[in-house]
This record gives sequence, C-alpha cells and structure tokens, in this order.
Amino acid sequence: MAAWARSYRRMVAWDLADLRLYLPVLSAVLVLQGAGFVLGIGLLFSNMPESAALFLTTGAPVMNLVTAGLIFEPQLVAEQRIRGSYEFIQSLPVPRSASALAWYSVAQVIALPAVILTLLTGVVRYHLHLAVTPVIVPAVVLTCLTGVLIGLAVAHGVTAPMVANLVSVVMIFVMTGFSPVAFPASQLPGWLQTANQWLPFGSMAAIVRSALTNGALTNGALTTSVPRAYLVVGVWAVAAALVVAWAQGRRR
Amino acid sequence: MDGAVEGGDGLFRADSVTKVYPNGIRANDGISLHVAPGEVYGLLGPNGAGKTTLVKQVIGLLKPTSGRITLGGHDLVADPAAARQLCSYLPQAQVPIDSFGAREAIVLCGRVRGGDRAAVERRADELVEALDLGEWRNKRGIGLSGGVKRLVGFAMVTVCPGRLVILDEPTNDVDPLRRRMLWEQVRQLGDRGTGVLLVTHNVLEAEKAVDRLAVIDNGRLIAEGTPSAMKAHDRGNLRLQLMIAPGHDVPGTPPFVRHAALVGRNLMTVIDETDAAAGITWAREAIGAGVAEEYALSATSLEDAYIELTGHSGQNGDDDGGDGDDGGGG
Repeated sequence: MAAWARSYRRMVAWDLADLRLYLPVLSAVLVLQGAGFVLGIGLLFSNMPESAALFLTTGAPVMNLVTAGLIFEPQLVAEQRIRGSYEFIQSLPVPRSASALAWYSVAQVIALPAVILTLLTGVVRYHLHLAVTPVIVPAVVLTCLTGVLIGLAVAHGVTAPMVANLVSVVMIFVMTGFSPVAFPASQLPGWLQTANQWLPFGSMAAIVRSALTNGALTNGALTTSVPRAYLVVGVWAVAAALVVAWAQGRRR
Repeated sequence: MDGAVEGGDGLFRADSVTKVYPNGIRANDGISLHVAPGEVYGLLGPNGAGKTTLVKQVIGLLKPTSGRITLGGHDLVADPAAARQLCSYLPQAQVPIDSFGAREAIVLCGRVRGGDRAAVERRADELVEALDLGEWRNKRGIGLSGGVKRLVGFAMVTVCPGRLVILDEPTNDVDPLRRRMLWEQVRQLGDRGTGVLLVTHNVLEAEKAVDRLAVIDNGRLIAEGTPSAMKAHDRGNLRLQLMIAPGHDVPGTPPFVRHAALVGRNLMTVIDETDAAAGITWAREAIGAGVAEEYALSATSLEDAYIELTGHSGQNGDDDGGDGDDGGGG
C-alpha cells in the first residue's frame, strides 16, 4: 500500500510537470467553455426565465468536469502514440490504478477553477441563489472521476489516435446537445429521454444540480431519482475502469 | 511474481521465444539467449530483423506466441508488472520530456522507479556530468536537440536501473564525442552488476561496448558469441573496400576474394593478408578503368563478420531507421 501511495504521488508530480506548459491553457479553455456557454445561451433571450437560468448555470459546470477527463486524456495519449513515447510511459514501474488516479487528481485540479468561475458567472449574470449542500463534494468527485475513467477507456482502448480523438469529441457533442445537462429532459424526444436514463451525462448533471440546489432541481420531469442517478454514474465508472484495466493489460 | 526458473539469481533468459503477429509475420522465431548480471549483451541485426519485437516482449509490451522469458525467479511473460519493476527500457522513440527540465526529468524518472530522493539526485548529477549535459541541465525538453534528448532519456532509464536495462538504439542522433561517454556509462552499468540488453545497428561501436552479442536476421538468432569469437574466422584476413563509380556495374571479383557484398556503392570484400598486393593491383586497375573511384585496405572488424552473416552493412546511415515494428514488421 505504501508503494502504491508513493507511485501515486510521483505520478501526480510527473503529470503536473508534464502538463506545466499547458495547465493554464487547459484551465482557461474550460473557463471559456463553461462561462462562455452560460453567457452565450443567455444571448438567445431578452429575459431568461429564472428556471432556465438555473438549469443552465447548474449544468455548465458538469460540462467542465466531464470535458477535463473526456477530452484531454485521449488527446494526450493520442499524441504520445503518434510521437512513439506511449510505450515509454507504459513501461514505467507504476501500478495502473495509481497512474489513473494520479491523472484524475490532475484533471480535478484543472477543472475546479472552471467549475467555480462558471457557477459565479451564472449566479452574477442571472441573479441566482444557489443552495449548495455538502453533497456537492461526492457529486463533483464522482462526476469528474467517471469522466476521467471514460476518457482513459477511450484513450487506451482505441489504439488509432485519430479515432480516439473523434470518439471523445462525439461524446462531448452527445453531452452538450443530446443529454439533459443544460436543459430539462422533458425537452428531449421520448427515445432520447429513455436513452439518457442509461447514458452517464444526464445522471451526472442530476447529482451535481441536486447538490447545488439542495435537491430542488435534478434533471427535470420524467427522469429518475438522484439515488438512481448516482447508481448509473457509478456503474459507468466501474465499467470504464474495467475497460481501462483490460486495455492496459492486453498485449498483442 | 511466480515461476521459478533454472539458472543463477538475476540471470535473464529468453527460451525459444517466438512471436507471430496477427498478420502472420513471424517476427521472432525460436530465439534463445541469456544475459548474466553485469553483462552487456548486444542484439545486432538489420531493420525488421525482430530485435525491437524481442525487447518489447521482455518489458511486457508484447506477448510471445510461445516461449519463456525469465529474470532470476520471475516469469516476465506471466507477470508484466514484475517486468516493469525489474527492467528499465529506453525505446527507440524519444522520451516525452517537452515540459521537463533535463535534470528534473532524470530525477523524476528515478523517483518513479522507486529511488530515494537523495540517492537519485546524486546519481542524476553524476550522469549529467558524465554525459556532458551541464549546459542543458535546467533547459526544457522542448528546446533540446534530438541527440541531447536521447542522452537525457538514457540517463532517465539508468539513474535508478532495474536488474536489466534495455537500450534500443541509445546512440541515435548523439554526436561522436558524447557517444563515447554514453558507451562508457553502458560499461559502468555492467560493472555495477546490471545486465544490459543493447539493441543497435552500429556494429563498430557495439564491438567495443558489449561482452557478448547475437546477430538476429529474419526473426532468427543466426550467430552468438563474444566480438572476438565472432570475427575469429576472419583472422589473417583483410578488408578491401572498393567504391564503385556512379553508373558503372560492379566488376567481377578475382578468385582470391573470399567474400564480397555490395553495401550502397561500396563493394566490401574480404581477402587473405597474403593477397594484399594482388588486391591493391586489382583495385587500382578498377580505378584506372573508371569503374571505381577509390579503395581502402584495412583490418577486418566485427562489421565484416556481420556483413557476411546478414548481407547488410552495420554502419549508421545505411539502415538507421529502426525496427519500427509496431505494425508487425519486427
């Protein structure tokens, strides 16, 4: 266990050093994504209804949390594969779980400033009052961790760099446009509502939104309960972790 | 970490290792070899011979189709995590250190390999000194030349070496002076008791650095021994090298030529030293006829034995592209 913890700490140091040229840029991209989305959608309305503003403001931070894991890691691994350095990283004597958790920690650090600034932007722009509960901590951790694990599964499971990048971008499109993250599930056609009961993004939004509004809002009518949302996200996290373990363990 | 193995503690052993890729290419075909602790063992062979495929199986990046790979009491095929602990690996590609300072990368790699901070920092400083990297000590990898990056990569994998260090073309892009420094460090690794498995095309340099070597061609181990033993049958021979003029056919070789191979525009021949005068006369006639531009007569080297075995030159520049066997070419 001590050796695992040592490996984890050293891989965090490695990842932070590896990304030091890009960390501020990555954080800035997430701020632009979240705050930009919150402000940009507002331009569609002369007076945005408060309920819509609350949905938008509590959904955009979920995009930050997911994007940090889902986009950056596949792109980094794709670059390593193209440059040929992937095998050097894979040959380091580090438990895969320590390496994965180290990357989660770094992704969480990258995402957190964007989450806070996105929320502040929405609150100030639309004069909202959030009722944040302590449950926000496990909600944010589980959401970011699941995003990271799905990202790792794509990064290591899809060996063609271009395909891995495309898959992660498509997932971001699904999250943004076809999942009840920044709008209520009731706005979606029935089949997409059903699909989103099993996809992770709507459930991620439900648990984060619930924690930001003291349970007043989840992801709109016709959707399931917050405990079920935790279960769905948890299952995705476990499934993604299994794919990561398989992908990193497989040898041609 | 199971799987007892015969042989002394710390002995690396590959037994009948065969690797057939899904596309049917047989990259390794029944390769058996061993490396003792402290031994520097060279793997020589032309591009696509299967050298890189072999070392990727050692470090657990590929899985043999059949055969065993062991280090001391550890079965490296069954336990790739143990392989990563026991072996450190410098691949052909550059290490990913764009954001790292050179010394920082060396220290961090040593720490990731489980080294104590003070010992790793001390050793990193020794390596920076020994490889003459002082002026780039704190410079980020993104600004380093390919050769300096290569040296930093070498230091990263040897600052806290495993029991077996695997070096795949460590001198690529490195200038001649620092190549010598690198080979000296390879020797010192051996002197400290670490086994070294060295993949290289550079036969002339390998001759001075390795204790024993194997020549691999078309996935098979075709010769093995010490450098002296490998060239023993060339004792009493000379190398007569003839540079063929552009646009001219290779001239026929006289009967006293024992072996001839065309490498680029160079006709490399081996002759008995008693035939030196006749050889010079033949070379001068070829130059006089405009067929050749120049000739050189020298003592035979390991390279001549290598050329005889494989039909390829072992000089850098001839086939410096590496195995590049990610797709199965091995």
